[in-house]
Amino acid sequence: MKDRFQINPILKKEMMVGSRSMKMSWAIMAICGILTAIVVFVLIITNLASSYAGYSYNSLIVLFPVLGCTECGLLSLMIPVITSASISGEREKQTLDIMLTTPLSPMSIVKGKLMSAMMIVMMYMIASVPVMAIAFVLGGLSWWNLIGLFIMLIYLGIYVGSVGIFCSSVVKKSIAATILTIVIGIGILVGTALFFGIGVSIIEAYNLATGNMISDSHYGLMLIFLFNPYSPIFDFMVRAMTNSSIYEMIGVDNSNIIFEFIYRFWIPISMIINLIISYGFLKLAAKHVNVGHKNKTMKRS
Amino acid sequence: MLDIQNLTKSYGQFLAVNNLNLHIDKGEIFGFVGPNGAGKTTTMKIVCGLLAASGGSVMVDGVDALNNPDEIKRKVGYVPDFFGVYDNLKVMEYMEFFGSMYGMKKADVDSISEGLLELVNLSDKKDVFVDTLSRGMKQRLCVARALIHNPELLVLDEPNSGLDPRARFEMKEVLKNLGSMGKTIIISSHILPELSEMCTSIGIMERGQLVTSGHVDDVMNSGNGGMKLHIRLADYGSGEDDVSDGKTYDREELQRTLSEQPNVRKVQCTEDEVLVSFGGDETAAAALLKSLILKGYAVSGFYKEKEDLETLFLELTGNHGGDNE
Repeated sequence: MKDRFQINPILKKEMMVGSRSMKMSWAIMAICGILTAIVVFVLIITNLASSYAGYSYNSLIVLFPVLGCTECGLLSLMIPVITSASISGEREKQTLDIMLTTPLSPMSIVKGKLMSAMMIVMMYMIASVPVMAIAFVLGGLSWWNLIGLFIMLIYLGIYVGSVGIFCSSVVKKSIAATILTIVIGIGILVGTALFFGIGVSIIEAYNLATGNMISDSHYGLMLIFLFNPYSPIFDFMVRAMTNSSIYEMIGVDNSNIIFEFIYRFWIPISMIINLIISYGFLKLAAKHVNVGHKNKTMKRS
Repeated sequence: MLDIQNLTKSYGQFLAVNNLNLHIDKGEIFGFVGPNGAGKTTTMKIVCGLLAASGGSVMVDGVDALNNPDEIKRKVGYVPDFFGVYDNLKVMEYMEFFGSMYGMKKADVDSISEGLLELVNLSDKKDVFVDTLSRGMKQRLCVARALIHNPELLVLDEPNSGLDPRARFEMKEVLKNLGSMGKTIIISSHILPELSEMCTSIGIMERGQLVTSGHVDDVMNSGNGGMKLHIRLADYGSGEDDVSDGKTYDREELQRTLSEQPNVRKVQCTEDEVLVSFGGDETAAAALLKSLILKGYAVSGFYKEKEDLETLFLELTGNHGGDNE
């Protein structure tokens, strides 16, 4: 009677319901439209710039960061919209109670919601492959770079999706959850930069006052960017375009093995850290789904 | 089947459920009655594992519900008072979705769903989108959904809320069928006459406490009012002025005579009959009738009206308003 190898029921249901809605089709069309418009714009600009010297296809490499950043930006805005209604929407529809009376654990509910969001993200990515391919075919980047970018986008999707689901579990209204997710995303993005900026200013002030130089201080402070989910994407793009990493560009002192190791493997280290944080957000969301119903719900009977 | 001992649920200083003790046998249809805020939904949610209790114990079919919520979820089916729908999901897909949540195989879910949809008279709506169903149909679908894993106990929170008379009748029939199949059912409702019709036992809750519970007839007879007697007299007349012609009775005299009789609590003379709140049993009522005849009253009608659940509910819950949860 029991099916041990079944797909997460939430994922299955969300995919079925989502595929019947026109929203997904419109969103795919909008994303492809934006990316196509950018490609056409870049083609026109590069064509105008090279009209006298002959067209340089290498200049199309600029499409890589432009399209990559656009997709990151679109996903960062779109995933909160998709995931922020995941738990709060169930609450609004009053279906969460029914779900919680089944043996499906809150963590499975949360995972199902994340997986369904990721499936939508992957559909968007697949739909945008032809547009993205222009940059790679004409711009001279390898297909591995395209695959790498997609891995980065999936990673970003998991991170932002986890934050979105967490917000959805703590906030009652979906719209409030969307706003909170975007605020947290911007907070992490700006917060890490702000932390770094303040840290550098304090150290510089200290150095000026004492006349001493604290070696490696900037490199140490830059480690805060490991917690910024966009930093491995940035490093990946730099590596793809320049064939050198941030670590080589900023000239980290090779004598410090720890710094050298971290900067050399910045992408996997930062991704692992941020995926652990994502898992933490999911655990908190699951806990809140459960706790919210066990202790805080008070309905008039 | 269900044994609740000293169940307590508090929200800060507020006691939503206060030392509740309740026992429901297997196969019973138990009606939960109480004003808004009495603690019915809270109790039901604790039984279903949706809320943690502050104290006490809940045993469902011998399993501790408070310490084994996962096991309880397989033993209990829950129908909330509001049916939330998923857009773009068909009736059969809805059943499959919940079946898969219990880890059931699609083939099993399909065959069970066929039977359940037939039970709730929705077999012709299998391929219809859930959000297009009427409210009554949605509620019946929700009952079918709650039965997908064949639970021992079915908990329904105001299943008839917001339904039209036809839908209420259909829901009642479904629940009666389930009762005849031996399912243990707990229903909370504000439509009290329906509860008294379909339930085998009832419990009245107020302010988190169980005021009374037991077999429907026992609970009905436990009320303060006992029975209401309707007495009709020949030449009763239509008012006090008729006394002068000697053909009708002096109502004050009649009222006094009746009030002096044993077990009579209250006498009320209406336009065409006398209403007596009577605390005695059948024999005492017969004695009252005999005494009236012996006193020369021409009794043309004498019948008892059994107290209904609504009156009993109002009596037991007094003037306390609801909405205090």
